[in-house]
Amino acid sequence: MKRFCLVLVFCIILSGAAHAKPPERIISLAPNLTEILFALGLGDKIVGVTAFCDYPLEAKKKRNIGGMSNPSFETVLTHMPDIVILTEDGNQKAFEERLRKKGIRTYVFKARRMSELPQEISNMGKVLGVEQSAASLSRSISNSMENIQGRKISSHSNKTLFIIWPEPLLVAGPETAIDDSMLLLGFRNIASDAKTRYPQYSMEEVIRKNPDIIFIGKGHEDMKAISHKLLSRLHMVNAVKNGRVYFISDNLYRLGPRVIDGIKELSGYIK
Amino acid sequence: MKLRIILIILVSSVLCLSSLYIGPKMINPLNMSGLDRDILFSIRLPRMLTAMLIGIALGASGAILQGILRNPLADPYILGISGGASLMAVTGIVFGIGYSGFLSVPLLAFTGAIITGVIVGLISYKRGSFWHGRLLLAGIGIGFLFSALVMLILGISTHEGLKRAMLWMFGELSMSDWDNIPYGLFFIVIGLSIALTRVKALNALMLGDELAWNLGFNPSRERLILFISVCLMVAASVSLGGTIGFVGLLMPHIVRMTAGSDNTFLVPLSSLAGGALLCLADLIGRTLFSPLELPAGIITALLGAPYFLYLLRKKDIIGG
Repeated sequence: MKRFCLVLVFCIILSGAAHAKPPERIISLAPNLTEILFALGLGDKIVGVTAFCDYPLEAKKKRNIGGMSNPSFETVLTHMPDIVILTEDGNQKAFEERLRKKGIRTYVFKARRMSELPQEISNMGKVLGVEQSAASLSRSISNSMENIQGRKISSHSNKTLFIIWPEPLLVAGPETAIDDSMLLLGFRNIASDAKTRYPQYSMEEVIRKNPDIIFIGKGHEDMKAISHKLLSRLHMVNAVKNGRVYFISDNLYRLGPRVIDGIKELSGYIK
Repeated sequence: MKLRIILIILVSSVLCLSSLYIGPKMINPLNMSGLDRDILFSIRLPRMLTAMLIGIALGASGAILQGILRNPLADPYILGISGGASLMAVTGIVFGIGYSGFLSVPLLAFTGAIITGVIVGLISYKRGSFWHGRLLLAGIGIGFLFSALVMLILGISTHEGLKRAMLWMFGELSMSDWDNIPYGLFFIVIGLSIALTRVKALNALMLGDELAWNLGFNPSRERLILFISVCLMVAASVSLGGTIGFVGLLMPHIVRMTAGSDNTFLVPLSSLAGGALLCLADLIGRTLFSPLELPAGIITALLGAPYFLYLLRKKDIIGG
């Protein structure tokens, strides 16, 4: 009897361990998730990423499983992932359901705003068996958000526009990591009244709202040359007149670990 | 009839002018601040002129093509010219070559359009004659080929220029400025002038080749001349603002239903009305969801299609 109990206990422990066993083969379906996975030290376990995953550089060497909205189901299956990580913000829900029906484990990343990021990273860390590094990453993101609370730009010259692309004029609208970071530092985003997150913005409105600061994000081409024409048309705007047009990195384009650097970079422009 | 012609001219002029003063913010022409003046001259005026030029080119080419192809469904984009322009422009945007120095997106689009025009022309020209059925089919064939290539590029591209390429294809006026207007004006004026001197021939072509011969026109030659004028106008218009739908297809019909189908009036009136419609569409596009901008091409179709269907139901002209 004693022996039987021992075997039973052993079996239970074994099955429990098998269930809690952290996934060894991970597929990421969004560039920000790929960045988070690398930051959590899971780079070696990634067996597939999207065509948009270009950061860190090692991500480019991973197998490409297609776009964010149209990944190849077949390719995902052939890589036999233990888990597929998706995001609510950009992946199709139907794709996730299809994976689950096929018996593939999925994790849906729910954060859309900066404030939700630390908690969601912790949650994901638990599922992926990297609780500790997730906790430390989420802590450093929270810290970087809290530490600058005191440092705010003065409110009389804080009207800001963040340009993603100059022709046609695409800007960072509401509910983006960029908008959240600007808010945190006291920059007032003049495009936060737009109805979409990355709107094509009216040039007339820019002239009328007269931003004090213009940030121009890094694209794949030489942004200085490309935005020259736009800036010359905005010559009457305060930011251009007072030389407060800044070219900055794409750290804040994705809701991932690089937001820490992005916030730091942005806070460097507080005068 | 005269009254209706005057009415079209009047309404068009009022629409064009009012698009200068109405917008996300009204500008009072009698009392303008420095800010108003800046917005008027650096943004609205070049936009309105660009819209006018594109609308003029599309309206006129639509009327001409419906005549030379003897097909009410013909529009300026049916000849594949816009497909060639899109292919070059999208390639330029997605591969980032359209932003470096000399090779601008408008220039790429113009080059694509002209090359396509030449290809379509060469395919259609056989044994000394320029047959309209052949022209139509060559245009459609080339158009399909190029749109497939555009889709291929967009499909495999992961570049962040994707959204910009889509916006360009919808017809984009938000970045119009003074720089491109002289070139557009040059080609569109040449194209339109050629067309206006050949309106009598166009009238004859619509009666069929045999009657055109009897009236003293060489159908192949006239078609070729008119085709060249259309190529110039469409190439210039596409390079100014992308592919803007509806104007070229339905504006000539709307004018025909209002002022008759004599090409002497139809061509100039379609072009004027096309210009006015595009001004109105742009006005709505930049005002309706301000500060968000909508591409004018979407608005032209939303505005024009229902009105066209209404006229069709009421007048019962097309197809007798």
